[in-house]
Amino acid sequence: MAVVATIVLILAVLGYFGSVTWPTLGEAVLHTTYRLAFAYGIALFFGISIALLVGWSPFSDFLFPFFDVLQNIPSFALIPLFIYFFGFTSQMIILFAVSSIIWPILFAVLTAIKSAHKDLSDAATIFGATGFRRIPYYLAPLSFPAMLSGSIVGIAIGWEAVIGAEIITNVAGFGEFIKEASSSGITQASIAGTFAILVIVFVVNRLVWAPLLADSSRRYAD
Amino acid sequence: MENSSDMALVLSRVCARFADEKKKSAPAIKDMTFSVPKGSFVSLIGPSGAGKSTLMRVILGLMPHESGEIVRNFSRPAMVFQNYALFPWLSTLDNIAFGLRMDGMGRKERERIAREKLREVGLAHLEKHYPAALSGGQRQRVGLARALAISPDLLIMDEPFSNLDTITSEALKADLLKIWRSYGMTILMVNHLIPDAIELSDHVLIMAGHPGHIEKTIPINLMRPRDTRSSQFFKEVDLLTEDIRRTLS
Repeated sequence: MAVVATIVLILAVLGYFGSVTWPTLGEAVLHTTYRLAFAYGIALFFGISIALLVGWSPFSDFLFPFFDVLQNIPSFALIPLFIYFFGFTSQMIILFAVSSIIWPILFAVLTAIKSAHKDLSDAATIFGATGFRRIPYYLAPLSFPAMLSGSIVGIAIGWEAVIGAEIITNVAGFGEFIKEASSSGITQASIAGTFAILVIVFVVNRLVWAPLLADSSRRYAD
Repeated sequence: MENSSDMALVLSRVCARFADEKKKSAPAIKDMTFSVPKGSFVSLIGPSGAGKSTLMRVILGLMPHESGEIVRNFSRPAMVFQNYALFPWLSTLDNIAFGLRMDGMGRKERERIAREKLREVGLAHLEKHYPAALSGGQRQRVGLARALAISPDLLIMDEPFSNLDTITSEALKADLLKIWRSYGMTILMVNHLIPDAIELSDHVLIMAGHPGHIEKTIPINLMRPRDTRSSQFFKEVDLLTEDIRRTLS
């Protein structure tokens, strides 16, 4: 990251980004980030809830391949369907991104539940984590590291989904911004925008994921 | 051992199957018949793969049995696991208090009991540590404290000493005997070490495999406390070793 920042700084000093309209770029990146954050929140809620309910139910072995088939449907093939129902709107992009982000979270949590050591599951049962209480007291904390890794992968996919959808639909955002910039031949705008997103990813990583991962590996290490 | 209300557990011709990796059902235990008197310490010895752990799971109702009868004259069972099975997301204190929390006990009271159990197993100074920061011996003591916290009337122990070094397991055995005497509970312990079984048990069940069944029940008539360095003790170990060899060959 430091190397990339240095290169961008040198380019900026040399006046490479002179043609970039920074307020427009800032607004576009903000739109995209807000959509991603919103989509992640929804995907996290539904991804974890579905995975916990499926993992808790006696039908998890039956439902696992069903979800596997669903997640293999290419997200971008569904874009016409989303456009049909929601039009060229921000909501459409958010829901489309949810359909991409949800799978890594759902599968990470479900796999963590299915691969948990039998003794741990037995201990939870013997000491009273039965019925619906099994979810908050055993399954949810058990799958915390998986929720983290699923989130990190999901958000990476989410950037792609949101920006891709913005490019396709021309709805205001970073995708639409770089599409416009590319068609006008201003590659500097794309580079500056990509750097802005890298900065956001880096900051979120340092402030959110890194401390959570450190805590997770400290507690969950065998 | 007879079938009566003095028994904590009676199994009569119990059969159970388990699904293997290919989801094929295979017999795990067959015609399992034995009983465990209330307040006694019984060890179960058998070769690896004989179905000892499956039997424990059947007794606790964690897996179904397909035929036979199980009389469970206990109301609150607990288990100590070979691999500790502590919840990694909970501190030592919260691990011990887990069962009490599930019983709906308030935080103050359950933490008081958990601290008391932690003291009993000699780990009062580690209440805020997470399992990952504990040694094998300490984890097993926390596992024992977690079981004791719910005041069990039957304690099942699945090879509790097998992952511990000799010094740690000797200390834990001494503590276990003290706890057993003071609590008066029934203990059923899966074990693979004959000297341990003789040192601790009133009866030793010898289990053979494929499918698992009880071959023999041997009473240990040595006076307690047992001196593990006495000639009598060594003689008992020799006799039982020979008995097991003959039974399982």
